[in-house]
Amino acid sequence: MNGSSPHTPNEPNAFEKVVAFVDERVGLKTIQAKVLNEPVPGGSRWAYAFGSCLLFIFIMQVVTGILLMFYYVPSIDHAYMSTQYIIHEVDYGWFLLSYHFWGSSAMVVMVFAHMSQVFLWGAYKKPRELVWLVGLALFGLVMAFGFTGYLLPWDQRAYWATVVGVEIMDKTPIIGDFLARFLKGGPTPGQMTLSRFFVIHVMVLPAGLMGLAGLHIFLFRKAGPAGPFRGTPEQLKAKTDYFFPRQIWKDIVAMASVFLIICSLAFIEPVVLLEEATPDPGDYHPEPEWYFLFLFQMLRLKIFSGEFGQFLGAIAIPGAFLAFLAALPFLDRSPERDIFKRPLALIGWIVIMAGILLFTVSAILNREFLD
Amino acid sequence: MQPKITANARCVDGEVGSIAKIIVDPLSHEISHVVIRERGGQGVERQVPIDQIQAVPNEEEVLLQGSTDTFRQWPVLNRGDYVTIHEVEIAHLEDHLHVAPGEILVPYPRLEQAVPRRSFFANMTHAIGALIALPLVFPVLKYLMQPMYRPFDNTWFPVGNVRKVKKENIGYQFKYTRGFKEAFMPEQHIEKNIWVVKATPAVQQAIYGGKDRKFYDDKGNVVWVNKANATHIGFSGKCPHLGCGYKWRRTKNYPDGVFLCPCHLSIYDEAGKVLDGPAPRPLDVLPLQVNAVGDMKIIDVEYKAGVKNQIRLL
Repeated sequence: MNGSSPHTPNEPNAFEKVVAFVDERVGLKTIQAKVLNEPVPGGSRWAYAFGSCLLFIFIMQVVTGILLMFYYVPSIDHAYMSTQYIIHEVDYGWFLLSYHFWGSSAMVVMVFAHMSQVFLWGAYKKPRELVWLVGLALFGLVMAFGFTGYLLPWDQRAYWATVVGVEIMDKTPIIGDFLARFLKGGPTPGQMTLSRFFVIHVMVLPAGLMGLAGLHIFLFRKAGPAGPFRGTPEQLKAKTDYFFPRQIWKDIVAMASVFLIICSLAFIEPVVLLEEATPDPGDYHPEPEWYFLFLFQMLRLKIFSGEFGQFLGAIAIPGAFLAFLAALPFLDRSPERDIFKRPLALIGWIVIMAGILLFTVSAILNREFLD
Repeated sequence: MQPKITANARCVDGEVGSIAKIIVDPLSHEISHVVIRERGGQGVERQVPIDQIQAVPNEEEVLLQGSTDTFRQWPVLNRGDYVTIHEVEIAHLEDHLHVAPGEILVPYPRLEQAVPRRSFFANMTHAIGALIALPLVFPVLKYLMQPMYRPFDNTWFPVGNVRKVKKENIGYQFKYTRGFKEAFMPEQHIEKNIWVVKATPAVQQAIYGGKDRKFYDDKGNVVWVNKANATHIGFSGKCPHLGCGYKWRRTKNYPDGVFLCPCHLSIYDEAGKVLDGPAPRPLDVLPLQVNAVGDMKIIDVEYKAGVKNQIRLL
């Protein structure tokens, strides 16, 4: 765009005239230039593609989500049937639903990757504290998306994950009971719960996510990319390039890979519903979606037994961890960004990841013991 | 003293041209070069490093090191190697840029000049905004809260015949269907289950402690009393830990059988007492009546899970 010469000897054609007309009124070319010409200190990297991938996955979730709503009916006497209809009757319905399902998992995986990258690169430090904080809020929204979307098919898996999830929220001090009743729309799960989860999933959360993601990107652009944690200014300058084309190229290749992976998962493991939801679990062993499994497994521990233990495991520890993450850029004020010179951060990250992995794996192993 | 863009550039042996552009380092945000358009040189522009500026006698003039010949050795600007700052996004570029053309002013509209209390208007705008929003808070809250609190349902539901329970101190599951009317929805038939134990006197004692168990409605009136010596106990199918459905299972450690919740592995004995796992209280005993031919009926009482005391929800 910058390389192309603006002056052409011939008269502009009709298309160029339209572009010029719009540009004069909107300033598109300046906006485009601003968006694309952002220097990436130290040059483009594959490690910077996670954020773009998240945006891509989210857009695809919006697209597939809208398509699912063409057939889905959010009422307890039709939700299950309409989802089954999408899977078994509507052309490619199984694919769109499975894409949406695996897309949500991809979103969670990518959020972990993105947060880990920012953490390990020390990119949450001054002057990027607000980018980090808004990012944490976005993380919360992504988890809320997963939790609310899970109920919508109204099968046993959906129902029981919600029953347990809401009971956990009930343990929040002071507002817990209100929160649980508010989400359930009554003392027990039913139509009101489905209506509420539906409207939160398809209206409230997308609006919130779009707003916060916009703010996230704005703040990121305002602060500028952090760049690598090693290298003198001269070295960085020598390698610096613009967002377009090299970084965008890496981003689009990463997005295409993510797309292919989600498509493959949708083909290999398409969504299959269990029995329709009912308060009698039958032979079904309730379990949340895999990314909540570590928390689920943690609550099985003896130290989290009893009323206080449960509050500790379900609310206090996750809450304290999130509060710690929020406070991180204000606690860790050292400008050092090199992860190999921040042993505490590196060890902390490894311990947390290993812990999550350990609890997830043991939850999966526990399944066999139960069957 | 800061030179103006357009300031004349002079070497020791005479004027060479005027500043036409400046070049900024994108990382340090400092000016790295000035671009000087040669006087009478068909608009040739040369980029001169900033450290070549020896002195700035006044805003209109900069003094370069060296002679006119030295100046002519500086490379000609290749415009294609650069973009303007309008076409690039460099965070905080302006904060560090020491090229201040001075304040650019526009006149205040005349009508505005006579308005004395601008902050008053600003505050009023916020106040009126709040007046629009505040009256909505209560109705919206009530609107959303409408279905949250419902009176307890004390209807009796038939669950099956007690003769199915053959052995003592073993959990027998009874599935039943209950009607459920919610808001505008037609009545739903939902499946639930309870666990019934034919209790020996020891188990009765363990559950009731020799005292009758009373059940209350919202107003605190007694709706039913389970006798302390009743032989059949009905346990709610909802695990008091986090609300899953538990099962009667024989395990290696408990060959006689226990109630086991697959969710978080709470284990209860035939009296509902917690043997192991995270549950905060024993299984919930339901109001149960058995008639002469052994048909059982229960009130579908539901308690909040995860708390030490029974808090009735339904």
